[in-house]
Amino acid sequence: MNPSRRHILALGGSLCTVLLAPRRVLAAPVELIEMRGTARGESVWFAPRGLAVAPGTVLRFVNRDKGNSHTATAYHPEIFDRARRIPAAATPWDSDFLLPDESFEVTLTEPGVYDFYCIPHEMSGMVGRIVVGTPDAPRWESAAGPSDDVSQTVLDALPPVEEILSRGRIEEDTR
Amino acid sequence: MKLSTAVLAIAAMTFTGPALAQTKDAMMTSPPGDPYVQVSDVLPLPEFLPGLGTLFVDPGTLPAGPFLSYDHDGKLSATVYMTPLEELQNGTAYDGLSLGADTVTGVDIYYNAGHPGVEAPHAHVVLFHDDGAKGRLAE
Repeated sequence: MNPSRRHILALGGSLCTVLLAPRRVLAAPVELIEMRGTARGESVWFAPRGLAVAPGTVLRFVNRDKGNSHTATAYHPEIFDRARRIPAAATPWDSDFLLPDESFEVTLTEPGVYDFYCIPHEMSGMVGRIVVGTPDAPRWESAAGPSDDVSQTVLDALPPVEEILSRGRIEEDTR
Repeated sequence: MKLSTAVLAIAAMTFTGPALAQTKDAMMTSPPGDPYVQVSDVLPLPEFLPGLGTLFVDPGTLPAGPFLSYDHDGKLSATVYMTPLEELQNGTAYDGLSLGADTVTGVDIYYNAGHPGVEAPHAHVVLFHDDGAKGRLAE
């Protein structure tokens, strides 16, 4: 091996180290939330519908329902003028309609409870709840209570925060 | 949401031809022509819905339809009606609905939790027009 080639290889190795190391450091945890439905659309749901994550976690919503489109939309006045059900300091999100196999990502950094829904299926109780961090975290914001803005169907479908924190994730268990 | 219905209504207005009733022959193959619009062109839904095929509807007939259902080869295979349960419970009747074809070989009725265009929980009433229709619309 001549010196110039050795130098090139060494330089390449150094570059790889430099390029790869920061990615390991910066990589945020990613959690998958699937949008699912039965073949004929009798039932639709988020899986999981309750999830506890650390601040900074990336949520990836993926539509696994071959016969329907879905959204993951935060309850927030900036989006369809809904009552806020995410922490005050959090940025609201709306995935828009996802066709089968399409996906959308959002990163949640503010500690607290986030409720979200599927625009065309909220009436059927297709909602979910994410708990970011724990109640002892600074700026923690608890779950929003009942309001005229959401139906009893929605409230019944949202898992209790305590259950999400104790179990980590709550899958739809009635399908 | 009402938004989706509004989108369909706007889409309908863009079709400037007179809303002539299509003859049954014209509706046997896709596209059926005015006043029908392809549902996936105006709403965020897959072009081919497993179990329902490729749907066309006259927006003026929403929510009940009829929705004309075509297989992968563009053959009219079923006529579908979508009737919101709450409206039925509140006394709304959907009478005198038209058919895509006169021959009906089978009927399926089942619950649907909603989808863009007809978000309220409703019943799908599917009238198949030949013996192989259900199989062709399945996937």
